[in-house]
Amino acid sequence: MLRLFLSLILAVSFFGSFSAKAETELWGDYSGVTLRVKLIGGGQYEGLYNEVIPWWEENTGGKIEIVTQKNHFELDKEIKKDIASGNLDFCVASNHTSFASQYGDIYTDLNSIMPASVLADYTPLILEHSTVNGRLVQMPRHSDVSNLYYQKSLYEDADNKANFKAEYGYDLTPPETWDQVKDQSIFFSNPPDFYGTQYVGKEEAIAGRFYELVIANGGALFDENYRPIFNSDAGVEALQWFIDLYNAKAVPEGVLNYLWDDTGLGFASGTIAMNLDWAGWAGFFNDPENSKVAGDIGLVRAPMGSGGLRTGWSGSHSFSMTESCPDKEAAASFLWALTSNKAQMIEARGGLSPTRPAIWDAIIAEKKAEGDEFMLMVFETFKMSLAEDAFTPPLIPEWIEFTNALYPELQAAILGDKSPEDALATASKKATEIMEDAGYF
Amino acid sequence: MKKFLNGPWVLLLPTLIILTCVVLLPLLISLWTSFTPFKLTKPDTLYRFVGFRNYERLIGDIDFWIAFGRTVLFLAIALNLELVFGLGIALLINKITYGQRTLRTLMMFPMMFSPILVGFQWKYIFNDNIGLLNNFLREFGVIQPIPWLVDGVLANISIMAAEIWSSTSVFAILLLAGLLGIPKDPLEAARVDGCNSWQVFKNITLPFLMPFVFIAMTIRSLDVARAYDIVQMMTGGGPAKRTELLWTLISRTGYVDAKMGMANAMSYISIFLSIAFTFFFFYKLMQSRQQLSYE
Repeated sequence: MLRLFLSLILAVSFFGSFSAKAETELWGDYSGVTLRVKLIGGGQYEGLYNEVIPWWEENTGGKIEIVTQKNHFELDKEIKKDIASGNLDFCVASNHTSFASQYGDIYTDLNSIMPASVLADYTPLILEHSTVNGRLVQMPRHSDVSNLYYQKSLYEDADNKANFKAEYGYDLTPPETWDQVKDQSIFFSNPPDFYGTQYVGKEEAIAGRFYELVIANGGALFDENYRPIFNSDAGVEALQWFIDLYNAKAVPEGVLNYLWDDTGLGFASGTIAMNLDWAGWAGFFNDPENSKVAGDIGLVRAPMGSGGLRTGWSGSHSFSMTESCPDKEAAASFLWALTSNKAQMIEARGGLSPTRPAIWDAIIAEKKAEGDEFMLMVFETFKMSLAEDAFTPPLIPEWIEFTNALYPELQAAILGDKSPEDALATASKKATEIMEDAGYF
Repeated sequence: MKKFLNGPWVLLLPTLIILTCVVLLPLLISLWTSFTPFKLTKPDTLYRFVGFRNYERLIGDIDFWIAFGRTVLFLAIALNLELVFGLGIALLINKITYGQRTLRTLMMFPMMFSPILVGFQWKYIFNDNIGLLNNFLREFGVIQPIPWLVDGVLANISIMAAEIWSSTSVFAILLLAGLLGIPKDPLEAARVDGCNSWQVFKNITLPFLMPFVFIAMTIRSLDVARAYDIVQMMTGGGPAKRTELLWTLISRTGYVDAKMGMANAMSYISIFLSIAFTFFFFYKLMQSRQQLSYE
């Protein structure tokens, strides 16, 4: 503890105009210490490392050795192999609230390492979601929830307004419910040149989208004992929504092979009217160099299901420290740096949602001062959505395995191989086996 | 003891030790895990013996057997088409008298791409919305996009096309080596006796080539699992398991679901598939060699 010292300073010293509450800093002298780290890679994530790693090295004298930098699904596989082989020779790793519970007790409980004054800087609910079995195993980096992007000009077009009203009997405005999304998607679609919407169609991605729609329809995936209950009216209604859009050709036919990049690039290509997507895409969508819809984007909170709730599948990217780390003080300092005010402001400027309340205020103030109406709308929408609509998937180790059992059945129903009831019955049977094997009942 | 130390065993010992460490031990450990509920994230489960439970579950798992059957079909069709195309290419190149070396080098280009890259490029070619193939077809009036990677039959054909493109040259090279080794005398004698090209090919070239065909088949049947990356990139075994092969199923069970015990049980059942293919091709190889020596 000798090397660790805490100092309270005003965060404004980092960013000039940024006026937030004081932040607890966690510096120390770590000369001669090298931290081996495994990080999530990809354009959206690596900008942070380019700025924070030199900053931390300069202030502490320590060194960071990036052992691995790959997408989260590959990183997940690598860490599982590390656990099996007992080869946990790294100190810090990227993590995610949906993945964290799989990893048992390989990560340190940060409650006993991070000063309370540091933890007080983060949104309490997000820290709660970063906790597994009472142990805080993650420092949250940024949070994710999805909202609905749309092409504004389609809704301003007089012909569209008149034709839609004549066909559906209500005004054409950005949708408030998922039924309206369906109507409007079918209305706008002109395949194969233009589609009303799209969805991610495989793996955890479609399972998560199905999950949030079940919740919005008033249903649930599991009861309190983790018995599957998604084979319900709410579940069938949710699955039928995907099927109806697919059958109406209101989504591209290859959508069942789509993941996040495909939907993001699809909307940016200008061939999609509405797109439910994460905050991190906002800057890309509005960049004329990357996107044909730049300058023509509207954003509304994710619509409501039949249960009157908005969809809000949410999670947080995070960083964890291994129990086997030989330099926990240095690792704690690095974890703090990666999720500090400075770090979160860097990512917020790229459109990502911070996990520190102070950064929300700071980024909104900054965008107001810059007169950036688009990003201001993005931050205000996502702030409200995270506060009022967001919910995590069940934070259980079996989540990924469960989604792997569920998604082929969803696909089978969408393609017409099975009825929604049959597909959900099969998925429910498989889910029951998984939960039984895991000892829930 | 002295006799043993001076005997051939001593010379074989380094090889035996290396083979034991590199091949036998991993095989035995993975066999053991197939009798446990071993999860990668719960190392303690490695020591819990559950007998044949994983195998019993697999016997009743219709998804596994469908993937098994699809893999057999995939192997049979892909390997035979690769053989036919490879033989055709080898025969054509063998006829060329000018630029043969350049063509041989060009022919090997697909082998230089990693399977992941091959998967990416063919995924792009077959993309229903922005893919090269659909855009090309559109020029010829096919307005409605064809869902190459969604339709059950088309998706499997698309994957096979990528695999065949990537690996036909292996056959072509091995068969070309065989063609170059065929003695000229029987060929010339047959022509003098009035045989046409088909008769020469059927009665002389092909019998000489058969050992090379079966060697190529054996190598490729063991090596074809490299196509895992291609399938994973193009469809991931979906949609709705329509392109699920043993390799994608085993990989997802072992590394994503972390159920390595179950994945190894699947692997051991599928090893029988490899053994059956290898045994069949070796048997045919021996037969064709014997036939050649009689002749």
